[in-house]
Amino acid sequence: MNKVVVTFLPDDKKVVVEKGTNLLSAALSAHIHLNSSCGGDGVCGKCRVFVKTGAVHAEPSGRIRPEERRIGAHLACQTLVESDCVVEIPPESRLDMSVLSKEELALRLRGIYAPSEDVQEAARPVREDFAFQPLVEKFYIQLPAPDFNDKLSDLERVERAVQEKIGDVPLHTGLANLRRLGELLRTSSWNVTVTVAAKGPAFEILAIEPQDTSEKNFGLVFDIGTTTITGQLVDLKKKEILGTKATYNRQATFGSDIITRIIYAQAPDGLEKLHHAVVDVLNEMTEALTDECRVDLNDVTCACVAGNTTMIHLLLRIDPSHIRKEPYVPTANFISGLKAAEAGLKINPHGALYCVPGVSSYVGGDISAGVLSCGLFRSADLQLLIDIGTNGEIVLGNAEWLISCAASAGPAFEGSGMKSGLRAVKGAIQGVSVDRKSLDVTYTTIGGDTPRGLCGSGYIDLVTQLLGAGVVDKNGKLNRNKTSKRLRPGDAGYEFVVVFADEKGLAEDIVLTDADLDNFKRAKAAIYSAVSLLIRHMGLSVQDIRNIFIAGGFGTSLNVESAVATGLIPDLPRDKYVFVGNSSLAGAREYLFSRRAAGACDKIAANITYFELSTDAAYMDEYMAALFFPHTDMTRFPSVKYEKDEGPVIPSALKPRPCL
Amino acid sequence: MAEELRLVSHWSQRVHEVRIGATKQEGGSRAVTLTVGGQGALPFLFKEGALPHPPLIAAEVFDVIDEDWPETLCRDLDGMSRDPVRWAGTMIKDVQADLVCLKLSGTHPDGADKPAAEACDLVKKVLSAVDRPLIVLGCGDAPKDNEVLPVISEATKGERLLFGDVVQENYKTLTAACIADGHSIVAESPIDVNIAKQLNILVSDLGLPLDRIVINPTIGALGYGLEYAYSIMERARGAALSGDKMLAMPFICFVGQETWRTKEARVPESDSPGWGDARERGIMWEVVAAMAMLQAGADILTMRHPQAIRIVKHAITELMKG
Repeated sequence: MNKVVVTFLPDDKKVVVEKGTNLLSAALSAHIHLNSSCGGDGVCGKCRVFVKTGAVHAEPSGRIRPEERRIGAHLACQTLVESDCVVEIPPESRLDMSVLSKEELALRLRGIYAPSEDVQEAARPVREDFAFQPLVEKFYIQLPAPDFNDKLSDLERVERAVQEKIGDVPLHTGLANLRRLGELLRTSSWNVTVTVAAKGPAFEILAIEPQDTSEKNFGLVFDIGTTTITGQLVDLKKKEILGTKATYNRQATFGSDIITRIIYAQAPDGLEKLHHAVVDVLNEMTEALTDECRVDLNDVTCACVAGNTTMIHLLLRIDPSHIRKEPYVPTANFISGLKAAEAGLKINPHGALYCVPGVSSYVGGDISAGVLSCGLFRSADLQLLIDIGTNGEIVLGNAEWLISCAASAGPAFEGSGMKSGLRAVKGAIQGVSVDRKSLDVTYTTIGGDTPRGLCGSGYIDLVTQLLGAGVVDKNGKLNRNKTSKRLRPGDAGYEFVVVFADEKGLAEDIVLTDADLDNFKRAKAAIYSAVSLLIRHMGLSVQDIRNIFIAGGFGTSLNVESAVATGLIPDLPRDKYVFVGNSSLAGAREYLFSRRAAGACDKIAANITYFELSTDAAYMDEYMAALFFPHTDMTRFPSVKYEKDEGPVIPSALKPRPCL
Repeated sequence: MAEELRLVSHWSQRVHEVRIGATKQEGGSRAVTLTVGGQGALPFLFKEGALPHPPLIAAEVFDVIDEDWPETLCRDLDGMSRDPVRWAGTMIKDVQADLVCLKLSGTHPDGADKPAAEACDLVKKVLSAVDRPLIVLGCGDAPKDNEVLPVISEATKGERLLFGDVVQENYKTLTAACIADGHSIVAESPIDVNIAKQLNILVSDLGLPLDRIVINPTIGALGYGLEYAYSIMERARGAALSGDKMLAMPFICFVGQETWRTKEARVPESDSPGWGDARERGIMWEVVAAMAMLQAGADILTMRHPQAIRIVKHAITELMKG
């Protein structure tokens, strides 16, 4: 036998694996999730562990410094176990699985359509745009017992009663329900509760239960993001939000962006693992929500999910590989008539699963849901929705037409791939102010915690402040000629110290590097150029747009002034910008709450035109022009003025003199 | 007889005029100063707007020559290329180049690694040997250029020379030196109109007036991307004439440098008999690139072969007759 025992510290978890298993997989078997942005390619250097005892085989990595290697540091994904060993996992390598804090969640969910959507708070008025008529309803029906004058079959008897409630529509039911039906109706004295789900133009009788349980009808709403998953438990009888939770998408273990995950799905068991990672999160969240709200899982009759196309494929364990191959066609955009159990969701075994329909491979149901909740599809005026994330999605239009595009911005705004980057979690710096003379930094962190790193909104503020102070030039380079204890040469290029480690008892200084600035510049340029090109493609100008909705994980705490100053979003009167927070979750909820909303959303998804940026020659040019702060064409940002660069200090032999 | 087209609208802006060289009265030592730019129309379309200054030819002179140069070129430059001062003088007096473009290749750390003082000394000697303006180019190694060029800038203060090149990754030191000493700058971008503009903004943000910047758009020789360079220059000049002041700078095109590294200009006839006489081929390759760049809007052509310079100079004279 070639089995070895790996012990992980400080958890003291032991796991038996085959010799030659890599430590990343071994940790996963022990239910320990390590950070791994690259999906185990040995590139990101985030899965660093210390091998205390035992023999391992490790590929050399530039991510491990020689002095670290001497004390046993290894990249888990590049290290194969050869004997029993003991491995210590430092806290920074561990994927933060904790449920987001209440403040943080409130922050994420703060938006115009859910002003006080708080984790703990329950009853919440929901917009009354669509008639409340959930996709799954329960009807208590008291049937007349059959006799010689009324010899209708049991099923037809039930159907007649249901059709009296919902109209003359096609009805289906499953064999399992039928087999029990005769006995059930008679033992319950013909008083039963029928759960009916809308499935396209038809309806399905999901379940028939004895007596009146019609008051207990609950549903789940999920927004499945590449990085974050948000879930909500709703009362489908009372139209109430009972609870909201958010946590990280555990698929991050297999790569931080969609493409890496699609590639991972091709590996043996890859699709399986990705599928389980997301289903487990949904099930755990469901259990936590139902426990807290004292709701029986059996009374949860449906779930509605909105997510990008890849996330939905992975949730349903559909091979996503064609999404990344030309001409980028997904297996399905409209997926209806599913049972939650088929996808592995543990709610009522007959429960229905609704997926908000997507538009294309790169514009998913989260965007259709966003358009639904922001109301673009019924606006007389031109409106724009920008969903900022690893992929930026943009929708432009009004009641008559809608067009969308997607741009790959990279994970910079989610704090990934940045030296001191952090997702928007507790301790992430989200607001920054830099004194123009002393370059002293003041900042605020999420939850008021000790700073641990910078999140997207923190970077946007920081870059704006440094541009203003002349520390960063318009090209996004740190000014090496400025003298400050905060500016110094780093591993690669220069870096600006935001927080000194010793001041806050951190392991490392929190810094902004030249490389970070480059990533940031590319990300903002991708978003801005997509917005700009989409508008130009329609022969319009930004001034024609009435409102711009900003959605996304960090949109809630975004400083508009800074976002404009860095050139991320167009320079328009600030009151045109509306933050909608998680518009995907809000849209998915509306979808579940109203058949009409669902119908409207299906139409939205079918009507949105998808504009492929990658085949447009002008995109590269727009992108190059946007790789500048705020933009190469300064006339597009008339309100943005940075303080003038004082210029470098001339070498001492050459004292500056007045110009000729 | 062809019908004359009627001009229905005019360009809204002229290209900035850049003056190179300063006379004694102005604080320099040049007998002749030169001006480029000022165009209010596309090249040689005299009926559409002002084209006040003819394009100039700057003779390429090196402190140290590359041993790799083709034999025919070496032969034609023989007798002067070992002495940059004499070389510069000959190119002005005998070949009638408008000005000299002195490239300090010998300062490169991977090459002769000459110190700043030696390079500075050479510049001063060239300045006293010729009475026309000078373009001074570094070796292309950023740290070394940042060490050498400011020293030369200070030593030639007031001469209003043209220094180069600054690039997006390294522009601050040389720009600051030129601001302090009254020189102008060549701003180089990699065949990209956006980067050209971004660099002009960065340089002018430091305080250099817009009429002291010359764009090096980066060109390719015939067969090596000439048409890309052409379209980028056309786009930039179109934007300039339409009102974009951050792109309204004259162009300098390094024709000699690009031509003499092409296979077509270098291969001896013995290696490729079908291509004909190597000397003539090299000269014509340089001439063709130069003529195309003139049509794209070049204000200064840097050229290497004396015969090519004579041919293009004559062509410019003819073209300027309108």
